[in-house]
Amino acid sequence: MSEQAIVGTNAPRVDVRDKVTGQAQYAADVRLPGMLYGKVVRCWEHAHARVKRLDLSAAAASPGVVRVLGPKDVTPKRYNSSVLDLMVSESMHDMLGDIDDQPIFTEHVKFQGDAICGIIARSEEAAERAAAKVVVEYEPLPVYLTAEAAKAPGAVQFTPEKPGNRAFQLPEAMFPNNALGGGDVEAAMREADIVVEDAFYVPKQKQCQMEPHAYVAKVDSGGRLTCWTSSQMPKLVQRKLAKLFDLPMNLVKIVPTVIGGGFGTRLGMISEPQACAMALAVPGHPVKLQTLREEDWVISPSRHPGKYWMRIGFKRDGSPLACDARFENYKGGYYLDASGTAFTAGAWLGGMYRFPALRYRGESYFTNQGLTGAYRGYGNPQTNFVLEQLIDRACAGLGADPVEWRKKWHKGVGDDGWCPGVTYPSCALDECLDRGAAAIGWTEKRRKYARQTGTLRRGVGVAVMNHTSGAMPMLLEHTACTVKLNEDATAEILFACSDMGQGSHTALKQIAAETLGFPFEHVQLSGGTSDVAGFDIGAHASRTIYVGGAAVKKACEEVRRQLCERASLQLGVPAEQLDIRDKRIFVQADPARGIDAEAITRAGVYHFVDPATGEPGGVPGQIQGYVSFFAPHNSPPFGASFAEVEVDTETGEVRVLELVNAHDIGRAINPAAVEGQLEGGIQQGLGFVLSEEICYDADGRVQNNSFTDYKMFGPEDMPKITTILVEDADPIGPFGAKSVGESGLVSPVGAVANAIFHAIGIQFTEAPITPEKVLKGIRETGVRDYGSIGGGR
Amino acid sequence: MSSRILPDFDLLLPQSIPDAVELLSAHRDRITVMAGGTDVMVAMKFAQSPAQLPDYVMSLENVPGLAYVLFDPERGLRIGAKATVADLLAQSEVKRHYRALWHAAQTFATGQVRNTATVLGNLLRASPAGDCSCAIYAIGGVVVLHGTSGRREVDIDDFWLSYGVTARRPDELAVELILPLPAAGSRSAFKRMTRTSEDLAKLNVAVRLEMSGNTCVDARLAMGCVAPTPLRLTRTEALLKGRELTAEVLQRVAASVPWEISPIDDKRSTAEYRKQVSGVLLKRAIQEACGAA
Ligand SMILES: Cc1cc2nc3c(=O)[nH]c(=O)nc-3n(C[C@H](O)[C@H](O)[C@H](O)COP(=O)(O)OP(=O)(O)OC[C@H]3O[C@@H](n4cnc5c(N)ncnc54)[C@H](O)[C@@H]3O)c2cc1C
Repeated sequence: MSEQAIVGTNAPRVDVRDKVTGQAQYAADVRLPGMLYGKVVRCWEHAHARVKRLDLSAAAASPGVVRVLGPKDVTPKRYNSSVLDLMVSESMHDMLGDIDDQPIFTEHVKFQGDAICGIIARSEEAAERAAAKVVVEYEPLPVYLTAEAAKAPGAVQFTPEKPGNRAFQLPEAMFPNNALGGGDVEAAMREADIVVEDAFYVPKQKQCQMEPHAYVAKVDSGGRLTCWTSSQMPKLVQRKLAKLFDLPMNLVKIVPTVIGGGFGTRLGMISEPQACAMALAVPGHPVKLQTLREEDWVISPSRHPGKYWMRIGFKRDGSPLACDARFENYKGGYYLDASGTAFTAGAWLGGMYRFPALRYRGESYFTNQGLTGAYRGYGNPQTNFVLEQLIDRACAGLGADPVEWRKKWHKGVGDDGWCPGVTYPSCALDECLDRGAAAIGWTEKRRKYARQTGTLRRGVGVAVMNHTSGAMPMLLEHTACTVKLNEDATAEILFACSDMGQGSHTALKQIAAETLGFPFEHVQLSGGTSDVAGFDIGAHASRTIYVGGAAVKKACEEVRRQLCERASLQLGVPAEQLDIRDKRIFVQADPARGIDAEAITRAGVYHFVDPATGEPGGVPGQIQGYVSFFAPHNSPPFGASFAEVEVDTETGEVRVLELVNAHDIGRAINPAAVEGQLEGGIQQGLGFVLSEEICYDADGRVQNNSFTDYKMFGPEDMPKITTILVEDADPIGPFGAKSVGESGLVSPVGAVANAIFHAIGIQFTEAPITPEKVLKGIRETGVRDYGSIGGGR
Repeated sequence: MSSRILPDFDLLLPQSIPDAVELLSAHRDRITVMAGGTDVMVAMKFAQSPAQLPDYVMSLENVPGLAYVLFDPERGLRIGAKATVADLLAQSEVKRHYRALWHAAQTFATGQVRNTATVLGNLLRASPAGDCSCAIYAIGGVVVLHGTSGRREVDIDDFWLSYGVTARRPDELAVELILPLPAAGSRSAFKRMTRTSEDLAKLNVAVRLEMSGNTCVDARLAMGCVAPTPLRLTRTEALLKGRELTAEVLQRVAASVPWEISPIDDKRSTAEYRKQVSGVLLKRAIQEACGAA
């Protein structure tokens, strides 16, 4: 194909007009005739308790109430609201130890907000008033908020399948000694001239998506269950609900609604089981279930917090010898995603530098905190906070420049990526580092800030990251796409992977239009309901463009092939010698000779025999392309972040002055969308490292379940941002593209921490690095010039 | 904990100040005055028990003539009970003569809240974190109250009694706030610390200094989030009065603050941190006041 006309342009976002004019329909906007309203009664007073008595009689008698549902009124089956278990083989599932441990309504409260029972009423208000009349007596149980507490001998067991309350550890069968990596770490460490080691704490961060979770569910007269939801993974949710309610999949229909932000929180299910259980109790009536921010906060999974220990050994010349790490994360009360983050945090670690020996152990422990699951980055910011700070500590000790050290030792083309055996096909990290360094003024500022006086101290820091483009090879990486041409040669594409607001459907449309040789405006792309759309594993693992784009491209290529074949019959030129542009099929060597695509598509659909000649008018049949696509590889992106900060040494306040995110995108299908992803990522990365953390009191109750006391960076807190797209086409990705969905937030974490280190000579092992912690650090060790601790070069 | 329904209440809409006073005296403890409602509504939504909920909410919506911010070069500034924080910012003399209050209003919340929240509501809420309250405490002034037994003025120094409690009697409506005209050589400043910029203060401070050259003739220092109510730092004020503002004096002033405050640990910060930075913040406010003549 010749020069690209649509890929690489800032095509206007397909979702944006509806959103800014208020026409986008979110689940909460769905209104159906005869609709009833559900309310889940939750345990707000305890984080760990047994239900001794549940009396629903007063609630049932409350005005407007249609049904009340206790644990015995719904299926006794349990579920796992995550969908990771569906994306591995059965033997892998057993090896990982995935379990279904979530009941629809519980008698053993495992975290604050656990669901006790449900009310269905004629209005939301009636449901809420009835909910207040539910009488529950609890027997409080000891509350465990950390792994240490939960694994202590004698602790109450969360579930019999997981003795010692250990929800997950890397399985021996796949990871000898329950560790990821290879080489003899102990022996290598003995050879080390310099060893850096520390124990860190990484915080529990909330996705803070704008749209609180809402659902509508309905059972029709044929017994078919329909659920309106903004899940990021409609097809897998369909399967989950079918399993939970013992329905064949054709009797479960998912209607994906516009997603008001996901960031991982909609990966799998949240309250779909409760909404559907209610609908099944009142067949014929749609039931709407909506959550408030405070409720959404406690019931939806957040980022895994925990203790993260790491030790790295180096030779005096800077060469790394070994890395030894252990991440013990604090899960909430249920299993979901226990295997995922515990593994990936180590995978990103393994994918970053050429450590001859690596041993990473990842474990998840049940606690009585709120649930933990997917959040953009999925274990990567945790690793970045730890790894990148230790690398800079070593650089200071070695007298090495942190940029130069990283350029020398990061993995690259041909090295194993985050999963052994899957090598990096491309890597533009050096260019990211060079251009990022130039943008922030690295060399000059490193020198200048190495010696400072005064109250306000500045520093610049760098961090790098690798991520993933799709779920292959750990998880199933499969997606289907159908492209059909209308008779007027416009294209309709069906592709089930959701657009979460990141611009993915826009970029996919660009890929389709480019491949077809059709104008952007003549291509329609929709997610479709589960009964019409093909299979897809959902919008996660930064896969939508790299994998989904490849599938869309392949399906469009099939359509293009059929068009060219039919044109070839009329033009008398082999199909391979034809090209399509602007819906016109023409001879490459003689562009004046051609035929409009519309003549072919029209004749294919409105197929008549000429009454005069008896000849058929063209080739009959509507043109369609279909692909059931399995990603053949994974081309992870890399990225480098540079931060400049100013630390107020009298108050401990840290101001981020500038943040540069340079990203190895392969090829930007829609540059503005890529920049948007990197910018949004920075906002969340800064929150992780400086201000965001969900806190619990000693009884396990959330202290900050709204924006009053959970502090994200707002517009006024944001620094100057520079994004740099390094476009070095990947040999595998569609049009050379790699991913960007999650990456943006990862390395700002390490870069800010390292900039603080540069400014005041102190590293902080607990995120978020609040002014309280900074001032304490300064009072304990005093402000030190970076130059005086060895990093003067 | 999680409700979309406001508890039931009767909304009362008096048409005049006497009307309002009558309603207040009729319902006393069972009625809540609502100006902008930015505190009242939040409190009603998150009330822990029915005892905390009013039966009647009396909105000042229809009471005419209280939305003024009037500057009189002879007598000072009058702020009516319905004047919002945005109204205050729109009055150009405020920035010139009452810099601390102007700055407090400017950093206060966000545009939406500033358009609704009233300055008097901030005083009446009697929160130790109130930004306008802190600035007004340093500037000084009187709150004018109308009750069944007539009009009275309460000096701001005597206005806050304990957390959330003011000298207002149950039958009284706060009608306006009067701030004195600053003398020549008077200057003020306000500073606050927050977790992110859109937040309630973890610590705030306001100063008003009467200067003669570099000598401080008189000082009023107020600090918030360090006691159950906004706090005057009277002992620290004494260290300033009559002194030239040298580096040593400022150092001594800063060192004295932690001894005068009794902060607690809460969601926004710790007692320890507040003590550690209280002197720094005060020192910076003094420096800013002197810098900005
Ligand atoms: C999102 C948000 C952000 C905020 N940010 C800040 C901030 O940055 N700084 C800050 O200081 N505050 C902040 N607040 C708190 C609040 O906005 C202020 O305290 C505001 O000044 C209250 O004014 P109001 O008119 O809304 O008061 P209301 O809520 O109407 O009333 C507050 C109290 O005063 C009483 N009252 C009001 N008027 C009278 C009267 N005339 N006579 C007798 N009693 C009266 C009411 O009964 C009530 O007890 C914030 C609040 C919100 C919701």
